[in-house]
Order: sequence, then structure tokens, then C-alpha cells
Amino acid sequence: MPIQLNKALVGREFAPFVVTIERGKIKEFARALGDANPLYLDDRVGQASEWGDIIAPPTFMTTFREAGGDNADFLRELGTDISRLLHGEQEFELHRPLKPGDTLLCRSRLLDIYEKTGRSGPLGMVVRETVASDKTGELVGTMRHITVVRL
Amino acid sequence: MKYGRVYADDVKVGDELPVLEKGPIQQIQLTRYAGASGDFNPIHQDHEFAKTAGMGDVFAHGMLSMGFVGQCVTDWAGPGAVRKLGVRFAAIVRLKDTVTCRGRVLAKSSKDDTHLVELEIWAENQRGEKVVTGKATVALPSRES
Repeated sequence: MPIQLNKALVGREFAPFVVTIERGKIKEFARALGDANPLYLDDRVGQASEWGDIIAPPTFMTTFREAGGDNADFLRELGTDISRLLHGEQEFELHRPLKPGDTLLCRSRLLDIYEKTGRSGPLGMVVRETVASDKTGELVGTMRHITVVRL
Repeated sequence: MKYGRVYADDVKVGDELPVLEKGPIQQIQLTRYAGASGDFNPIHQDHEFAKTAGMGDVFAHGMLSMGFVGQCVTDWAGPGAVRKLGVRFAAIVRLKDTVTCRGRVLAKSSKDDTHLVELEIWAENQRGEKVVTGKATVALPSRES
């Protein structure tokens, strides 16, 4: 019997959380990707750039995982556990590059849960979104992702 | 032409981005990526856990491959140029796999002073199988501005 995901979670808004982007975290993330772009790693190159500081790689928002992430409580409520998860799809929309010192208010929502049949059997698709805005309320970035649950 | 500046004027539909070769994937890179990203799912670190979960062995975070594809775009367009980056994870990347990232210009548009270029982006393993497919939109400067 395949497991059943808790579809009552569709529409859930997770507790808003604040992220302050750290200089060292940007560099650690770029190095982990093996990306030596000086705009990520060299403060002087960043200061001389049009952004006035180093900036973060375009996938950096994936580090914003305080709420609505794959923590044990959420996965239990969803009806699964971490060993069944795969990453299906991921999208970032960026209105400007992220920089050290940016303080962003992040709101995550669970948009949809649906099923499909994959090569290896039934799959549950869990669609989530996180929207980040700055202190002035301006939208900075949106990340949408589909987590695949092997049912 | 690494980290070169690309102008919208010089880009044509069908142009291909310089190919970016990443890997072979090693366990230490998955460990570093876990720490940097905060994704500590043991399925990327612990052989026994991955085996018990029915995955055979550990495999790379999808987001690591997406980061590689992102680098293919930013090496060409510049890191601040990316407005949109979206992918589907088509196949699992395993230890010792290589990830070859490619891109191609699909469309160009200009509105006021904003020049957008839409790209098809993808990554293949050493057997030529697509592991990531997607699209990106970058904003490029014009030679006139």
C-alpha cells in the first residue's frame, strides 16, 4: 500500500522568518559549488563592482530553510520521512542580487500536493514557495520547488 | 573568455554558451555542499542510509547540479545578470559522475532599458544522459547604455 500524503496541508502558510545574509556564508556556498567567481569571493572586486559589494550565486536562496523546510515535524505531519524525498523541480526569480547584510523577511507557503506515476512507482509531488522581501517591503526574490515523495 | 561581459547587442538566438565541465563528483563535495546549503539529508552522506532507503548508494544534491548549471550561466552573463533560473531534475547524479553544463539562447527581448535573454539550459552526465533541464532569463547591458 502506498503511503498517503496529508493534503490538508495545501494552502498552509508557515511562520514568517528573517534571514540576514552573511558574507562568509556566501563565500562558503560559492566554494562548495566549486565556483571561484571573484564577485562571490573577493571583497575588493565586489566593492569595485556596480553592486558595491560581493553578491550571492543565483541559487543562494536555497539556504533559507528555517520554516517550511524538510524538518522532521513537517515531514511527519505530511505523512512521510526524509528517506523518501527526492528533488523534482526548483525555480528562482530574482529582482536583484543578494548581498551581505541584506535582512530579508521570508514567507513560505505550501501551494499544492498531487500524485503522479514515475518510472519506479507512485510519487507524491509537494509544491512549496518562499517569497523574500527587504526592509522596505520590496520583493527581492521568490523560490518555488517541488519535492518528490516516493510513496 | 571566463567572466567576460556579454552585451545584448552581440547575442543571437541559437548562440551556445561556453560548456562548463564539473565533477567527477566526490563525497567531500557533497559534504561541503551539505554544510554550505544546510541540506543535511543523510541520503547524500551515509551509504547505509541510502541503501536502506532503496537508492543503492549516496547521490548528489539536486541543488548542487543546479548550482553548476547556474555557474554555466553566470560565467557567461555575469553573476548579477540572472533574473530567473528554473530546472527539473531529470536523473540522479552519483559519485564519480561528471556533470557537463550547456546552454543555448532561445529568445531576446528589449523593453525600455532592459534587455532580456532567455536561455535553454541543461546538464548531462558522462553517458550523455540529461540530469538537469531548464530555462534561465538574464538581463544584459547594451553597448549604447
